[in-house]
Amino acid sequence: MSAFIKDLIELPFLQNAVLAGILCSIASGIVGTWVVLRRITYIAAAISHCILGGLGAARYFSVVYDLPWLRPVYGAIFTALAAALTIGIISLRAKEREDTVISALWAIGMAVGVLFIFKTPGYNEDLMSYLFGNILMVSREDLFLIAGLDLAVVVLTLTFYSQTLAVCFDEEFARTRGMAVEFYYLLLLCLTALTVVLTVSVVGIIMVIALLSLPVAIAARFFDRVWKIMAASTFLGIFFTLTGLAVSYTPNLPSGAVTIVMAGLTYLLTLVFSALKKPVQKTPTA
Amino acid sequence: MNSTDIVVRFKNVNFAYEDGITVLENINLELEKGEFACIVGPNGGGKTTMIKLMLGLLKPTSGSIEILGGNPRERCQNIGYVPQFSKFDASFPVSVLDVVLMGCMQRSFFMGRYSKAQKEQVHRALNDVGLKDMAFRSFADLSGGQKQRALIARALMSEPQLLLLDEPTASVDVHGTEQFYRMFSEMNEKFTIVMVSHDIGFVSASVKSVICVRKTLQIHPVSELTGESLQKMYGLDVHLIRHDHRCTEKGHVCPHS
Repeated sequence: MSAFIKDLIELPFLQNAVLAGILCSIASGIVGTWVVLRRITYIAAAISHCILGGLGAARYFSVVYDLPWLRPVYGAIFTALAAALTIGIISLRAKEREDTVISALWAIGMAVGVLFIFKTPGYNEDLMSYLFGNILMVSREDLFLIAGLDLAVVVLTLTFYSQTLAVCFDEEFARTRGMAVEFYYLLLLCLTALTVVLTVSVVGIIMVIALLSLPVAIAARFFDRVWKIMAASTFLGIFFTLTGLAVSYTPNLPSGAVTIVMAGLTYLLTLVFSALKKPVQKTPTA
Repeated sequence: MNSTDIVVRFKNVNFAYEDGITVLENINLELEKGEFACIVGPNGGGKTTMIKLMLGLLKPTSGSIEILGGNPRERCQNIGYVPQFSKFDASFPVSVLDVVLMGCMQRSFFMGRYSKAQKEQVHRALNDVGLKDMAFRSFADLSGGQKQRALIARALMSEPQLLLLDEPTASVDVHGTEQFYRMFSEMNEKFTIVMVSHDIGFVSASVKSVICVRKTLQIHPVSELTGESLQKMYGLDVHLIRHDHRCTEKGHVCPHS
């Protein structure tokens, strides 16, 4: 741990990692709360897996056609938004078999990504860092992009807080008030898509959903207002990513996995804690 | 009768879901201003569908619906809608204030901040439904009846001319149900009320007319609601409570006799 703090002062890549962890936790704490309340974690997971297609395609075209400006993250943003809108429109229009379509997109996105990565000339170590994240690879340039996306997510969420609350609480009533329910739903999915792109750099495609939902699941056990849960899960997210980074640093473990294990253990502990706290209910004998 | 006094008008309305199952058949209905109507009928008979048609959430397959002299979608700002509380996520983290404020939402509501006047209106609405000083409680901590009251307060926020309630007394105990009807009677002095109920037992006390719906529709003035007509609707024998009969310490009282 002391080696981590010593290196943190000296090494810029470690400072970038810490900043990236903090910035991602802000977006994932806020948007993750809506994702959990609106019960769309499954959609968020599908968007996250689709991203591999965008990452792989962008990197392939960048290498093969020599387009240095085309960074993989642009492909990720494009695919995430496209997947969010496709899933959103399908779930609004078609009432049945929504989950089948979501699962199909999930798998197709990954398959396309794997094919592009396979055909990209050169060294293909990137696949692992896309899947499991590598916060230590975040560059100064990435950091600006993450900060920009973060700002967009925070501003949009705060602007539409009351509306999103009304739609998440009672969609049908919101509709009777003449609210553009579809718009808010698609907006929420797009915000989820951007947040997922941010979070992929920290914990990778596969574990995004844990960082979006576990801090919220923990916070929701202690707080009973949406904004409090958002604040608490942001702090929990920061705590998990930073401790994950610090704990994994010296033994050189994958930081994303350590972060998620920390979050998962904390969640289990809160479950046990609240089970013990609950007064023992006597079963009626009569 | 002045046509502007007709609050709800169904003309030859048919409704079928996409799978082709007809839910409502040739419904004709006119409800006047000041009406307190109760829609009763068996499950799947089309009670909730009628409410959703009035709200403009569903469109009739054929026929026309006029609400407050206009198209349901356009007039929905003047309709207060109270859904069943039981369909909500019981632990959703909101305060009673948050829930009631949602009643102020409009299409034009942008850059979402509620005004001070709206927050004061919440306290008046909560007072009207008997939830004084409960604004800062968690919605999740309320009892079933209190949740239902909070949802009624939410519907009152838009100062409705028509209040639509979907089974408001479901899972409220008998004593609570009486209190609800007393409250509805008071509100009925200000606006028209249409409610759905499976709870036949209490209907006639304050309700002015009963609409029986099972694909087709029959309207009964309250005093004509008899065992026979109910039996016809449900297709089986049902025990009918004497609505107009009260047992008190002084003996039996029949207000309608």
